[in-house]
Amino acid sequence: MIEPRAQRILLVDDDANLLVVLSEQLRDDGYDVETARDGQEALHRLEAGWPDLILLDLMMPKVDGLALARAIKAAADLPIIVLSAIDTADSKARLLDEVAEDYVSKPYHYPELRARIERVLRRLGDRIPRQSLVLGPNLTLDLHRKAATVGGTEVQLTPTESRLLYAMAASLGDTVATETLLARAWTDTEEADASYVWVSIRRLRQKIEVDPDKPVHLLTVRGLGYRLVPSRAENG
Amino acid sequence: MADKPTARESLFELPFRILLTAALILSAVLPLVVFGAILLAARLDTDDRVVVPLLIALMVAAAFFGLLVAAVAVASLTKPLRRITAAVERVAAGESSPPIHLTGDDELARLAESHNRIAAEAQRRNRELGALLRAIAEYSPAQGVAALTARAASDACAIFGLIDAQLRLVDPATVPPAEVIPGDPRPVRAATRAGGETLGLLTGNLPATRSWERADQDLLDLFASEVGVALRNAELFGQIEKQNARLLELDAAKDEFLRGISHNLQTPLTSIRAYVDQLRSSSVEAAKDRRLQIVAEQADRLTRLVRQLLTVTRLEAGVLRPEVEVIALGLRVRRAWEALNAATVDFELRDLARGWLAVGDPDQLDQVLWALLDNALKYGGREGKIEVEVAADEATSRLHLTITDHGSGISAADRKRVFTRFTRGAAQTSGDGTGLGLYVSRQLLRKMGGELTLEPAGQGSGATFRITLPGEPPGDEG
Repeated sequence: MIEPRAQRILLVDDDANLLVVLSEQLRDDGYDVETARDGQEALHRLEAGWPDLILLDLMMPKVDGLALARAIKAAADLPIIVLSAIDTADSKARLLDEVAEDYVSKPYHYPELRARIERVLRRLGDRIPRQSLVLGPNLTLDLHRKAATVGGTEVQLTPTESRLLYAMAASLGDTVATETLLARAWTDTEEADASYVWVSIRRLRQKIEVDPDKPVHLLTVRGLGYRLVPSRAENG
Repeated sequence: MADKPTARESLFELPFRILLTAALILSAVLPLVVFGAILLAARLDTDDRVVVPLLIALMVAAAFFGLLVAAVAVASLTKPLRRITAAVERVAAGESSPPIHLTGDDELARLAESHNRIAAEAQRRNRELGALLRAIAEYSPAQGVAALTARAASDACAIFGLIDAQLRLVDPATVPPAEVIPGDPRPVRAATRAGGETLGLLTGNLPATRSWERADQDLLDLFASEVGVALRNAELFGQIEKQNARLLELDAAKDEFLRGISHNLQTPLTSIRAYVDQLRSSSVEAAKDRRLQIVAEQADRLTRLVRQLLTVTRLEAGVLRPEVEVIALGLRVRRAWEALNAATVDFELRDLARGWLAVGDPDQLDQVLWALLDNALKYGGREGKIEVEVAADEATSRLHLTITDHGSGISAADRKRVFTRFTRGAAQTSGDGTGLGLYVSRQLLRKMGGELTLEPAGQGSGATFRITLPGEPPGDEG
């Protein structure tokens, strides 16, 4: 890992105890950590400069977490991991999909949280616009809201499926190695192997290909990995 | 006289028509016969060849005439009688009968008139009964006492042709009957009863021109008691509705409380867990400190219990949504087992489905595995052996996972209710769980398209739980 500077994380939570211990844990792992007790304070911190990642509790006084996340996403594609009590996610599940890259429920296990942070930061270079990606007459991806439109019908993607597609869409048309996909879609703590990628791609084809047995968008490159391509009709 | 009633009765039992005919014939013919007989006796010695045949002819003619008169008289008498009889029979059979019109002012005409009046009233009561039955058929407990009271009063007016009517929920004994004044509207009343209890009083006024007889009172009483039953039902319904609303309120309050308290438990737990993690990673001695390890384990255990409580409230609220991923079941079981820190217990995992991946929500599956393994530990005894087997059914593309302990097993009575909430094995009433594990596990698995069942097993050989989940066959690059 050759980093020009430590990656910066803004930690927003109204639990003072948590701010102290979690920022210490993150600093021990080499991150540059700033903290904020509520949404307002977080916005002040953002004025001074953008972090690489925001860790955000949804339940906060003053500006609530969801409003803050939306404000941030409206300004820039800053990755957000929501760190919140497990029941908070229910009522806002779909909204979470729109604003958060990932979700970790409290009480968290630090190794798990760190693995999620690493996975999100890993794709920092892969910026793709937060808008519809039209790959052909029968496939449009809306990865920012974990959805795809297949032959006119919208289908929901799981977080893993949208992470896989995100990684392939970032190098549209090029082969992405199976190992890369594995690292982008799963965390180190999940003990996933290549078969996870194979099976997930097979399931993904069932969802986004009109004929899953004759894929036109999600192609296998034998021995190497997979490619996401626009359909021929779109090319020609 | 006293010794002849049977004879008289049998005489009157002869058909009326025959009696009448005989009487008429006798009254017309007898005087002639007597007269002829006297004449014949007086002139028997004279050989009058003119008088005797003439007399005989006269007698025959008289007899004939008498018969004729009798026939006509009988016919004119019995015809209206037959009409009245037929009409009365129709009314008796419950049919409607057109009025009979007889000229004159004799007994028959009056009889016909009486019949007409009776028939009309019977018809009116029939109509009233029909209207009554239709009205009460529409009474429903859901309408409420107040609406039913108002409706019953207006129905009473419509059914019985009352000028006005009122239904009050008072004791009839406290309301003295109104005086009947000839020429004024006639007051009527009936008590509304249900199951031997008097609920109220129905009063009203009848137009002065209308008759009011025993049968009318009976109908009004019938109506009032039906209204009484409807009112009682409405009252009970209202009470049940109220209780229901109260129970729903309490249930929502309970869910809210549970959600709130579980949520608030998570915050300190998060800090405890984080500080222990940090302590243990800060120095080599601390990492080895058994006491810190126990704090971490117990915090984790508490976390799992709180999460189970939260899952129940989310299941109840219907907000739970599985986020489906592919999972290597065997690895997941191994990790769940390690999280329980029960190294002293003999644990055997047989994975007969290598390469297969289960399809389910990883977090929720963890909850299920923790609950089942924790149960196996609790009921199988810490010294027992826990066996887990993962197998694939290729035909149905489903994965089967069985968890077997070698404890005392589950009694027949408990088998039926282990999957209901707050149920613990009878042998383990002092258990430290929430009593929610199996219930939550089954609900979670079903939401993922899976199932949780208890395998039939002999007494003493422990218990085996079977999880099934949708599976994906081993994949390749294609």
